[in-house]
Amino acid sequence: MIPDDLDTIVGRLAERFSAQRGALLPLLHAIQEEVGWVPDAATPLGARALNLSRAEVHGVVTFYHDFRREPAGRHVVKLCLAEACKARGVGAIEAALADRLGVGIDKTRADGQVSFEAVYCLGLCATGPNALVDDRPVSRLDARKVDRIVAQVSA
Amino acid sequence: MTRAYISCDMASVALGADDIAEALTAAGCTVIRTGARGLFAIEPLVEIETTDGARIAYGPVEPEDVPAILDDTHPNRIGDLATLPFFAKQQRFTFARCGITDPLSMADYTAHDGWKGLAAARALPPQAVVDAVKASGLRGRGGAGFPTGIKWQTVLDAASPEKFIVCNADEGDSGTFADRMLMEGDPYCLLEGMAIAGHAVGASHGYIYVRSEYPFAIRALNAAIERAGPILAPFTVEVRVGAGAYVCGEETALLESIEGKRGQVRAKPPLPAIQGLFGQPTVINNVLSLAAIPFILAEGPERYAEVGFSRSRGTMPVQLAGNVKNGGLFEIGFGITLGELVNDIGGGTESGRPVRAVQVGGPLGAYFPPSMFDLAFDYEAFAAAGGLIGHAGITVFDDTVDMAAMARFAMEFCAVESCGKCTPCRIGSTRGVETLDRIIGDRIKGAAQREQALEAMPQMRNAKVKHRSVDEEIGVLRDLCETMKFGSLCALGGFTPYPVLSALDHFPEDFGGARALPQAAE
Amino acid sequence: MGWIGEIDLGTKPMPVTGPLVSLTIDGQPVDVPAGTSIMRAAALMGTNIPKLCATDTLESFGSCRICLVEIDGRAGYPASCTTPVTPGMVVRTQTDKLAKLRKGVMELYISDHPLDCLTCSANGDCELQDQAGAVGLRDVRYGYDGANHLDAAKDESNPYFTFDPAKCIVCSRCVRACDEVQGTLALTVDGRGFSSHIAASQDEDFLSSECVSCGACVQACPTSALIEKEVIKVGTPDKAVITTCAYCGVGCTFRAEMRGEQLVRMVPWKDGKANRGHSCVKGRFAWGYANHKERILNPMIRASVHEPWREVSWEEAIAHTASEFRRIQSTYGTRAVGGITSSRCTNEETFLVQKLIRQGFGNNNVDTCARVCHSPTGYGLKTTFGTSAGTQDFDSVQHSDVILVIGANPTDGHPVFASRMKRRLRQGAKLIVIDPRRTDLVRSPHIEAAHHLSLRPGTNVAVLTAMAHVIVTEGLFDEAYIRERCDWDEYEDWAAFVSEDHRSPEASAEITGVDPDELRKAARLYATGGNGAIYYGLGVTEHSQGSSTVMAIANLAMATGNVGREGVGVNPLRGQNNVQGACDMGSFPHEFSGYRHVSDPEARAMFEDAWGVPLDDEPGLRIPNMLDAATDGAFKALFIQGEDILQSDPNTAHVAAGLAAMECVVVQDLFLNETANYAHVFLPGSTFLEKDGTFTNAERRIQRVRKVMSPLNGFADWEIVQMVAQAMGLGWNYTHPSEIMDEIAALTPSFANVHYDALEEHGSLQWPATAAAPLGTPTMHLDGFVRGKGRFVVTDYVATDEKTGPRFPLLLTTGRILSHYNVGAQTRRTDNVAWHPEDLLEIHPHDAENRGLHDGQWVSLRSRAGETTLRALVTERVAPGVVYTTFHHPTTQANVITTDFSDWATNCPEYKVTAVQVSPSNGPSDWQESYEAQAKRSRRIEPRLEPAE
Repeated sequence: MIPDDLDTIVGRLAERFSAQRGALLPLLHAIQEEVGWVPDAATPLGARALNLSRAEVHGVVTFYHDFRREPAGRHVVKLCLAEACKARGVGAIEAALADRLGVGIDKTRADGQVSFEAVYCLGLCATGPNALVDDRPVSRLDARKVDRIVAQVSA
Repeated sequence: MTRAYISCDMASVALGADDIAEALTAAGCTVIRTGARGLFAIEPLVEIETTDGARIAYGPVEPEDVPAILDDTHPNRIGDLATLPFFAKQQRFTFARCGITDPLSMADYTAHDGWKGLAAARALPPQAVVDAVKASGLRGRGGAGFPTGIKWQTVLDAASPEKFIVCNADEGDSGTFADRMLMEGDPYCLLEGMAIAGHAVGASHGYIYVRSEYPFAIRALNAAIERAGPILAPFTVEVRVGAGAYVCGEETALLESIEGKRGQVRAKPPLPAIQGLFGQPTVINNVLSLAAIPFILAEGPERYAEVGFSRSRGTMPVQLAGNVKNGGLFEIGFGITLGELVNDIGGGTESGRPVRAVQVGGPLGAYFPPSMFDLAFDYEAFAAAGGLIGHAGITVFDDTVDMAAMARFAMEFCAVESCGKCTPCRIGSTRGVETLDRIIGDRIKGAAQREQALEAMPQMRNAKVKHRSVDEEIGVLRDLCETMKFGSLCALGGFTPYPVLSALDHFPEDFGGARALPQAAE
Repeated sequence: MGWIGEIDLGTKPMPVTGPLVSLTIDGQPVDVPAGTSIMRAAALMGTNIPKLCATDTLESFGSCRICLVEIDGRAGYPASCTTPVTPGMVVRTQTDKLAKLRKGVMELYISDHPLDCLTCSANGDCELQDQAGAVGLRDVRYGYDGANHLDAAKDESNPYFTFDPAKCIVCSRCVRACDEVQGTLALTVDGRGFSSHIAASQDEDFLSSECVSCGACVQACPTSALIEKEVIKVGTPDKAVITTCAYCGVGCTFRAEMRGEQLVRMVPWKDGKANRGHSCVKGRFAWGYANHKERILNPMIRASVHEPWREVSWEEAIAHTASEFRRIQSTYGTRAVGGITSSRCTNEETFLVQKLIRQGFGNNNVDTCARVCHSPTGYGLKTTFGTSAGTQDFDSVQHSDVILVIGANPTDGHPVFASRMKRRLRQGAKLIVIDPRRTDLVRSPHIEAAHHLSLRPGTNVAVLTAMAHVIVTEGLFDEAYIRERCDWDEYEDWAAFVSEDHRSPEASAEITGVDPDELRKAARLYATGGNGAIYYGLGVTEHSQGSSTVMAIANLAMATGNVGREGVGVNPLRGQNNVQGACDMGSFPHEFSGYRHVSDPEARAMFEDAWGVPLDDEPGLRIPNMLDAATDGAFKALFIQGEDILQSDPNTAHVAAGLAAMECVVVQDLFLNETANYAHVFLPGSTFLEKDGTFTNAERRIQRVRKVMSPLNGFADWEIVQMVAQAMGLGWNYTHPSEIMDEIAALTPSFANVHYDALEEHGSLQWPATAAAPLGTPTMHLDGFVRGKGRFVVTDYVATDEKTGPRFPLLLTTGRILSHYNVGAQTRRTDNVAWHPEDLLEIHPHDAENRGLHDGQWVSLRSRAGETTLRALVTERVAPGVVYTTFHHPTTQANVITTDFSDWATNCPEYKVTAVQVSPSNGPSDWQESYEAQAKRSRRIEPRLEPAE
């Protein structure tokens, strides 16, 4: 799962941000984009590249919900559970998706096919319930769109 | 060739705008992607340009509707959008271009009065620019409502070789999307505002901190920065992407995050204006505050200040969200009442059921019942009513809402998003969820088990089990809210009590159903 | 004695820069410096606002929210720790509303805290407990079965302290202490919100994390989450004594905290002027050697080193010693005996040993371990500036803009000062490192040297001269300063010398291996970057050109106007706790106390008057000369107090031969050290915990050492020396070390005002403390150099005779590591071995690959002097062609390898440059095995027969 050339990858990405101040978040984003997650093994490499302590990098990785310390499922469904979507009935959608995907919120299905995650607001608050399916936004979720999502992530 | 306008706003795309754009292109149209007009009930929305340059709107539409649109037979024909009451009633200062222009077209931006504010500002000495902002009466649109000009004055007065402009685009409040719409629909406007701020206070570099949940805005800004670089120069701007932390919308946590650290809130003082990003004097303003600046400089502060109400001057892009018929962005001068916004503009609930509650100002805002709908949209009026305008998001709920569950959600959200620095927020939010669980009775079964477990212990056989009534539990909750409200370091812990207490105060009937619980042995 | 509780004022003091700010707190007026927090202002007038996350050693943080106050005209309840006072402010610290808020917050804390106060190791010494009482918490209405951290696993990996997350209140004081005070940044908060918890590095155990065990986190913790294992074992202390650390030359002040007669912990003292409340793993924790089972508590004698030791009474041991020295002197002459004073003993004890030699032995054959470390400092700085000591106090570094570190590794050797330096560097001061190794200062979290000149060992003078070349030829020198303060003619001679083309960076690069561009930039930075301060260590002195290098440093400082104010100067980082003091006290064969030559009739007369005997006007023998004389048969007896020359001095075989040739070697020490293998009399020594006295640190600061417990061996070292003196017929009659200091003050002009009552009153004094400067002298040469005009000395680079060649192609340089101290006699007998159980040979990957070596492998290390074996550590910290090791472990005996080349002026050995070869090996060398066997034989002890009554 962890790429063999993680040190090369981190070194190359760190180089890209070397001129930036406060480059840790951009670096972690870049690692996650390239590797898919931020393995703990990347922490000492990032720390060395940016001349930070391992503790500092670890503290940052664990603070931000975006950074995954475990690989995600092959597909990721993020469902907004914030107030505006609640007002538009996301409760029923959450139940339907959990049932149809076979995995509860904030979990990855055992076969690694799909991660089902909560997100708090996508800024589409007049047209909820909303989701990001593999980073594509979907609004006005209803039974028909749940079907489509399930089909999409089962592929 | 027919020119068709369709929004590339994330909300429009989430409703299928890309597919329609594709269908229009396939049908031979020249498709121009614009920002969103702001009324999402009619999205996906297509506007077809007539030979005389007018635009005829159709919406909502589906890809298969393209032929009907092109031969003008579609039943959802709206015609000239400007005549719709939703648009006719607005005072679009900040969002004047949004939905009209191609967001990344420099020609469009220039043609629609772009860069006029920057040119005007650069013709003035910094102090004169700051004076103009003061005269406009502009107050921080992020929620706190602090006068923008005074903040700028502090940074201008701070002697330092290095200063920064930071745009807070970490729009995390549920029910708000104005920042996102502006960044996607008119990014140059924000960049222009930042460059004016840079000139005004003597800062040469700016950061826009955008939440990672806004990928469209991030793309738009990066593209805009690249194209506008020569005009902005010597001012430079960089986009920094958040990483899933609501608390980074708090200005000091945001600064920490840009510095590459955990997004923990700093104690104030020192104010960021004196010691902000990387320890240097920093203007940190919300997207809407900075985006209001070009208008103020281009049209003059008086023009901006002449609308508004009491000490709240200018316009506010109000966002109608949740279960509302005409959801979207509505820019209007301060002073309009809550009822007008929800019922007249918003058209009541989308579900058609009665409005039971509206939450104003995001997850930290208070819930109001319709009985308070005569409240004027104004910073002071809302504060007096135990609420806040915040980022001007209004989330509408119909009568199916369970207000105890919403109060619990407020605590849960705080627990999920707490940075963990101060105790009232770090521990209090979790205790709040637990206390509300006891009140709601979700955990009655758990409590019963606990009781049994205690009873099973020999030394407890004869112990008297004291039961705590719902009223007593509510007393604990109110005390906790007080501790959080007055004890927390920042607004996350400090304002979470607003939705909780307002739910308790205005909807007490939703909290009364739980049975008395035994109190844990001490 | 008694419990010296430290008052915590909550936030840091503010300098007085203008008029005081007047405000009212609880109706009482108070005036404080601008910038002071409300919390501190209240504490200063005696009002303690409840607090948990605030402590006056850290920046205010504002997280615990129990220090809230009310301020007239201000909404809400600001935290008093983060709110500075303003003129006319009216503050209330106690109202019903505040009481309720504080109680509410405390209720939250306790809802996630074990209710085990009675069995908690911090019971009675816990801020959480105190504050819960102070806010009057009586009830936790949330119950105790909500979410909590009570089952979190304890981390006991660190030998000295435990981390129990269940007791943690996540105030981040530990994290902040690690960041702000220590500068290692080994701790963080993992996660956020309710799940926030303190983590070492990547949430691993402390021992395997980046933690260097300085103890700052333990010190900062307000609960028992981080607590010393000794407190868990013994209980909380009930009394404390302020004393001075006996490890390195930083001279940290500690509170030795006791429970009865038992030492429980050493806690760095906030008012200590050298350490300002900080500590390192050695001083803070590694004091267990004081009670180690190998400590020798009874005197012992033997006729020959082949015999086992025989335990004897003190009377017998003293009488035997005195009679042996008298016998040998009558047989072989007055000058056939000598002594070595210890840089680990007190000033008073050192003074007595040299007095014993000069007054009792009647010669000047006294030397000290400074011979092998900082003797070139004494020579070089005296020659150029007029004083044999560093020019600044440690606080000075806070005012430096450019810090040049040459031949020093402060993060390992002087860790507490290194933390101060790193703090300044994090604030933006620039750093230049001149060192063959990539030390931690070159690059470690948030620290990065602007220039690292990685020179070939032995070429310091060439590098510094090349820097001088740049400064002179590019016109970067401070002419006004030089003309005013220095001898201009001498400057011109020197300037002409350094300006010669072949001394340019480009020309000397072939010798030094330093990139000329980098060197030029470094020189420009030092000359023009503001306040430039030079810190150096044994990497400067322990060379054949040690004294030249010290003078080259002084030249640079004078040429750029960097002597004589705060933030600048020339600062030797002294190795041992009292090496400065040992030098001051007349431990050298040519100098009385205060660096006055024995041939100076005026000085000699002073001592002759006081001591009532004529004194030798000829300088005596230095250590290497004593050893040479011994092998030649002319030197027969040596009194060695607290030094292990066999392990610490170069060319072990030569030292062993010298010792073996003597008839009476007296060793006074805590343990049967390596030198004792060649001794005839062993006098048990006392630890610094067992006596009164003073140490003088690297900043010339004289600080009290106070008796914490009775000497296990029966006597303090000064008493033992006095007994020897009395047995030799000298009429000494000191009843307390303060009387010795009075004599020192009377006989040493620079110590004229140093008396114990003054030390009690002021905490410490930096010499010179004279009538002109009764409170001492933090910064030297303020209005001019002590010698008058600063003297530029031409320092020609002369290559060492130690050359690499086909047989010995690599250069060995030696040094120290954080967890160990000197020959390791103390630290090896503590749990510090957890970090560094053996000496390792650092070798560059290229050199390792060429020799087929891999990490962790046994290797043989050979020089023309000898051979040893140890394990290899393959690392890029050393440059290709250079290898490095430490000398902490006698099983390695690194000094078997080092040669007897030494500094031309002072004989300081050239430890730092030895040509060696490295090859694979299967295990210990023959020499190591035979040494091991011989040491074992030599350490046999026959138990003492109880005398029949």
